[in-house]
Amino acid sequence: MSFLAPIAFWFAFTIPVVIVFYLLKRRRVVRVVPSTLLWQRFLAETQASAPFQKLRHNWLLILQLLLLLLAILALARPYLSAKTIGGRTMVVILDTSASMQATDESPSRFEKARIEALRLVDSMHDNDTMYVLQAAASTEVKQSATREKSALRRALQGAAVTDTGTHLKEALKLAETLVQNNSRAEIHLFSDGAVGALDGFDNSGLPLEFHRIGRRANNLAITSLDVRANPENPAQRAVFANVVNFSTNAHQTEIEFRLDDRIVETKPLTLAPGETSPQVFLAGQEHSSGVFSMRLTGKDDLALDDQASVVSLLPQHSKVLLVTGGNRFLEKALRAAQNIELTIAPTVTESSSQFDVVVLDGVVPATWPTGNVLVINVANPAWFEKPGRLDAPPIVDWKGSHPLLRFVSFDNVQIGQSLAVKTPQWAVSLVDSPQTPLILAGELGRQRIVWVGFDTLQSTWPLRISFPIFVANAMDWLSPTAINAAQLAVQAGNPFRLALAQQINSVELTRPDNTTRLLPVDVARGEFVFGETTRQGVYRLKAGTNDVVFCVNLLDSSESNIEPKNELRFGQYSKAATVSLRQANMELWRWIALAGLCVLMVEWWWYHRRTV
Amino acid sequence: MSALITPELLRRLEQFQLLAARRTKSSAKGERRSRARGQSVEFADHRNYTPGDDFRYLDWNLYGRLEKLFLKLYEEERELPVTIFLDASESMTFGTPRKFDFARQVAAAVGYVALCGFDRVNMITFPELSSTNNAGTPADNASLSRELAARGAIRSVRGKRSTIQFLQHLNHLTAQGSANLNETLRRGALQASQVGVAVVLSDFLDPTGYEEGLGALVARGFQVNAIQILAPEEWSPTSFGDLRLVDSESGVAQEITFGRFRLVNYQQTVQNFIQRLREFCQKRGVHFFMCPSDSSLEELLLKHLREAEVWG
Repeated sequence: MSFLAPIAFWFAFTIPVVIVFYLLKRRRVVRVVPSTLLWQRFLAETQASAPFQKLRHNWLLILQLLLLLLAILALARPYLSAKTIGGRTMVVILDTSASMQATDESPSRFEKARIEALRLVDSMHDNDTMYVLQAAASTEVKQSATREKSALRRALQGAAVTDTGTHLKEALKLAETLVQNNSRAEIHLFSDGAVGALDGFDNSGLPLEFHRIGRRANNLAITSLDVRANPENPAQRAVFANVVNFSTNAHQTEIEFRLDDRIVETKPLTLAPGETSPQVFLAGQEHSSGVFSMRLTGKDDLALDDQASVVSLLPQHSKVLLVTGGNRFLEKALRAAQNIELTIAPTVTESSSQFDVVVLDGVVPATWPTGNVLVINVANPAWFEKPGRLDAPPIVDWKGSHPLLRFVSFDNVQIGQSLAVKTPQWAVSLVDSPQTPLILAGELGRQRIVWVGFDTLQSTWPLRISFPIFVANAMDWLSPTAINAAQLAVQAGNPFRLALAQQINSVELTRPDNTTRLLPVDVARGEFVFGETTRQGVYRLKAGTNDVVFCVNLLDSSESNIEPKNELRFGQYSKAATVSLRQANMELWRWIALAGLCVLMVEWWWYHRRTV
Repeated sequence: MSALITPELLRRLEQFQLLAARRTKSSAKGERRSRARGQSVEFADHRNYTPGDDFRYLDWNLYGRLEKLFLKLYEEERELPVTIFLDASESMTFGTPRKFDFARQVAAAVGYVALCGFDRVNMITFPELSSTNNAGTPADNASLSRELAARGAIRSVRGKRSTIQFLQHLNHLTAQGSANLNETLRRGALQASQVGVAVVLSDFLDPTGYEEGLGALVARGFQVNAIQILAPEEWSPTSFGDLRLVDSESGVAQEITFGRFRLVNYQQTVQNFIQRLREFCQKRGVHFFMCPSDSSLEELLLKHLREAEVWG
């Protein structure tokens, strides 16, 4: 037998204390009686009937010493090392995403989940091991495999709910690797089921037990928010918001539109169950830049998604250099795009670095520009390996969801000839032919690149309405100010990145709760990355002489839809249903120990009762 | 007449007379039948005439029929000596009412009945008072000498006219000191010139026991009545907890831890003690009575003593 805590043997020094208490003489009350004869006889008779009567006090002492010894032994935590069948391996995944803040359970879904997880810990066997994972935007291992219930309880107590979405897939993948090849493994997911799609676990046969938390869906949410120039009046800023009613009953509320904490406008809203209501607010030139925020004033179960903020920056003109041998369609399209100062040159000059965007139309430059580029029909050897040529590639697919292809259709576009390349790692293919990608977009280092692999003049595309739209989209996408605006709206849990113009060592960050931290910057990267965006709100950054404001929002309709799901679907065929109650071994030793203590107290009381 | 016994009770006691199971052996004349032949109206026997006999007792009618001289013998009526052993030790001062008070009342009643029946009353109060031990204040000395006088006066009393004095002296008695019951009874038995009725009034809580003394009285031929008087607190104690009990007579201390929990056991012990005494008495033809000091005096005197035919 060995001991986990032999230091407890120091408590043995309390034994002499007990003995000393026994050595102390009792204080007796003196009474004069007519005769002690009867008392002597009484003592003789009772002692005769109880042969150990004389030892009564000693027995008490011995019992108390025994009790003390046992207590010390227990505190020393002895254990026997023996071979036993391996216990279960349990992985607890605690959903700490934003939807777990819903208050339909008391005090919140997250607390309920934590209580249930603690109950699971209580029911563990001695040789069971457990992991604790916290799943939100990222998965965090709160406790690696252990049998120590106290460590597990501590890990669960240390988990905290966040304002982010759920990337359960990541957590499940981690759990899958943890329980691999273990036939007695269990994965316990404590969640409300408000998670994204879980494709990819179709046939993995995860031993998943889904503990559903949550009772109802009573939630209004702002699921998207954006700010742009008003298409009808570029001097104005238009703020778009989507308000969705995820409840099963109609809701009336008001939506407040604020600029830097000043209410600009308030609108009443009535939403039917499941209704989505797009809202547009217009702000004049006088309030064009700052932080716009939206707030729903009605009360629902999840308060987090009732507000969202966005940073509005004044549109700035970007300088564009068109290097072309002559392309009127392209030139016209560029001139039609907004906020552009266009310069046309036949070759790339050294001054090209002054331009925000360079458009290379079929011209191979002597030195490739380092800024953002739109490259048409030219292959940079640094980007592609061995580009070939392909005649009349048919367009079979295009990615309409990409911002570059917004409102762009390639119906009825024929291409004479194109370059044949392989899609490099840094780019995504936007338009495909069976043999080669035709349009690519991506970011190489910090340079944004849009690559069109064919001569537009050798295709029917410039004759289509989609061409100028694409060029305008491309200019938007490549424009540094647009990049900035997109960077300043961060979804909770995603990192915030900021390119640094100056060489600075640290930045000062003020979080929504007004706490300020000094964060170090990796000078070599020339970029500041901040990953702790688990709280929604407005963050202010002081980087050298620059003040940057960025907003972190939930804006996740799968999180806002807090209706508790009865089952989790893994792709098309498999699912995990809710488990309610199941057989569990609840440990009783605490209660038994408590009963033992009570018995001890009763014994003490009983002993004293005899003397009074 | 006296604070000890109410006049009403005295009046009722006058009707009684001590019953002696055996003929009295006293030498003094009294009202009791005795084995002795003497002068009375009660015919006993005839015997042959021997020269020198008093002619007045010749049965002339018999001489007329048988022509032989016979003497008529009559029973001599003698007194019945009643010896009362009164325990006046320190232990008798306990109880509410005091055990000693109860004992004096019984002694007064027994003495009164005896005196009314022209019997001799010998009152032995023990322990003996020793004048040498008591070297206290003059007031103490005065009360001591009064006590001694009272004890001396009631040591031997006879005649109905002595009753008032007897009761008054009894009133002056006090209880103190440590008694030896065995020794007192044994000496009383030896010293008695005539045996008769003995009444022992005590709590019988003597560490040396009572067997020897009572046995000596019985052996001497006394008709013994033992009356045990216990205080109520001896029967059911009122002190609990960790106690150091000090004996009032010997000063011996006894440590005990006592609680209500063990009250029943204690009472069983007391019961056993009384039962042993009762059995001892029954075996030797001794009348035994147990009275708590708060019990009814009338019930003892008018009921129990009568039922046991101590008097009638």
